[in-house]
Amino acid sequence: MASDMNPGTQQAFDQGNLRANAAYQDGRRRFTIDPITRLEGHGKIDIFLDDKGDVERAYLQVPELRGFEVFSLGRPAEDMPQITSRICGVCPTAHHMASTKALDDLYKVEPTPAGRKIRELVYNTFMLEDHALHVFVLGGPDFIVGPEAPPEQRNIVGVIGKVGLEAGKKVISSRKRLRELIAYFGGKVVHPVLGLPGGVSKALKAEDLPRFKQLAGDGLEFALWTLDVFKQIVLANPDYVKMITSDAFTHKTCYMGMVDDQNKVNFYDGKLRVVDCEGKEIFMFSPQQYLDYVAEHTEPWSYMKFTYLKPRGWKGFVEGPETSIYSVAPLARLNASDGMATPKAQAAYEEFYKTLGGKPVHHTLANHWARVIEMIYAAERIVQLVNDPEITSPEVRRVPTNVPKVGIGIVEAPRGTLFHHYETDERGLITMANLVVATANNAARIAMSVEKAAKGLITGGKVTEGLLNKVEMAFRAYDPCLGCATHSLPGHLPLRVNIYDRQRTLVRQLVQE
Amino acid sequence: MSPLGPPPAPGAEESSSSTPRVLLLGLGNDILTDDAVGLHVVHELQRELAGHPSIDVRETTEMGLALLDFITGYRAVVIVDSIQTGKAAPGFLHELDAAALNQLTGRTPHFVAVSETLALGRQLGLAMPEQVRIFAIEVEDPFTLGTALTPTLQAALPGIVSRILAALQPLL
Repeated sequence: MASDMNPGTQQAFDQGNLRANAAYQDGRRRFTIDPITRLEGHGKIDIFLDDKGDVERAYLQVPELRGFEVFSLGRPAEDMPQITSRICGVCPTAHHMASTKALDDLYKVEPTPAGRKIRELVYNTFMLEDHALHVFVLGGPDFIVGPEAPPEQRNIVGVIGKVGLEAGKKVISSRKRLRELIAYFGGKVVHPVLGLPGGVSKALKAEDLPRFKQLAGDGLEFALWTLDVFKQIVLANPDYVKMITSDAFTHKTCYMGMVDDQNKVNFYDGKLRVVDCEGKEIFMFSPQQYLDYVAEHTEPWSYMKFTYLKPRGWKGFVEGPETSIYSVAPLARLNASDGMATPKAQAAYEEFYKTLGGKPVHHTLANHWARVIEMIYAAERIVQLVNDPEITSPEVRRVPTNVPKVGIGIVEAPRGTLFHHYETDERGLITMANLVVATANNAARIAMSVEKAAKGLITGGKVTEGLLNKVEMAFRAYDPCLGCATHSLPGHLPLRVNIYDRQRTLVRQLVQE
Repeated sequence: MSPLGPPPAPGAEESSSSTPRVLLLGLGNDILTDDAVGLHVVHELQRELAGHPSIDVRETTEMGLALLDFITGYRAVVIVDSIQTGKAAPGFLHELDAAALNQLTGRTPHFVAVSETLALGRQLGLAMPEQVRIFAIEVEDPFTLGTALTPTLQAALPGIVSRILAALQPLL
């Protein structure tokens, strides 16, 4: 229960983190020689070699957001959906919704049926739009254009070259229309003003329903078309399939995802289900119990926090039946569920597991396919919601009357499970705020992927060409949210790899600007 | 197919003539300390340029592909953003090489860069600006939540504002 969140634990985490930071800073002073390595804005991979010149450990670090709790302290809890949605320009709606749900819990108020359905409508629209962006624009260069294609073609223009100009226009216009639906309810997409404790701020007018029904139908058609594109371009190519299923991109870990009461994938609400590497359910918990199941581990070399399954204890960066490392995001959600709640998505789900050899699927790159299946579910759910007679009810909010204390809200963000946890005084002013973002849930597995890629590419002190690209693909498959670092130019995260010998002397540095 | 794509579709020209010809666009996250410097610069200029017949001043916390909606239809666009290269002192005003605009990075882990957005718009036949100047201010701290700039950036702000204003003149 939330009351287990005692300040002592939090303090211990914070202190451990401070020590880890200090140790990392100290180590960095000792080992780095080039001023460029001092940049905070770089993704940084440190590779440590053993006596034989083989990889002993490899670590990835990304810049982290600072000062969130300090910034939040003393602010009214009702401001949190706005504040948290402004943290990151990539998934504002996910933060907004997790935060709004935390406010429901804080005031112990259930949204009205229409309020809940409008939230779900907006949320599934966001998931569809964000997933589409990923499939065609972010992941597309690797998959639709191809991992071996020349770098100058591996971008959205290359994707359109492959799928065709008309298809490209379809992608851009679908995305724009879906965003208009989000804006209808929440104003600006980046700073949505929609969620209130107990409901939402705006009802859907009956006269506007026809155009949303049209959009819903088009959205579903778009999602099904995307699956066709994926099948034709990716699955029909044996080289891609070989890469997806290759050992380099495979890890046997646990998986976490939110499910409804039938154990079907749900992005907006439900319980968190965790399966082990054999696909067997090992934990099922409500959002309010998250601190009993999720704990954070820190390492002296990193200021990143690695979450793990608390009941199993931290067992290191290991795979297999006993591991306490879990992953989140589309593949994890499919693995952690018993299926999809809508028919076309369910059919795609069955085909996915049939093709890849049954549940669970451990291939990180299968996230791209899982994402397309989730697009179909989101689109089908949108169709259901706009055809629900209650969706146009004006009863969109129940006003809270309880005294606030603790609120926890969870949603499945595009990149995985997102936790918001606030505590307030009796006036509803924030006294504690904690976020566990999707990328933190994936951090341990990402670290393992980077290490595996490095091990495959460096032997006897010899570095194979193309190391940067392969290592980068290993972590890009997770689409890690690099927090606030995503905004500033040049528009991507410069990547730097430092290779150290047994004496911890920097022997080589690779930088990709 | 040329990477720059086909010429603008018929009709695109008409729409551009009915809108101001030059867009000054500030980018940034308004609650991430120095990340917001582009917004601060544009905010200052908003007063200066209010009611100007041919310049639109806008600020946005959006990025990537969303910029397509902002820049379509303008003849010229000036973008002011933040950057952290570590190779210049905080407050330094970089201008990104216009020639580099057409070089697509091909490796954006999370979203689409400005150059890629422009190339995409051209390929889709949207009316993309003929002239784009991208200014980026070297920042000190874009990682801490906060609404005020660091003192270094605050001190540099007036100088940057006048340089951006000067850069707009030749585009008019």
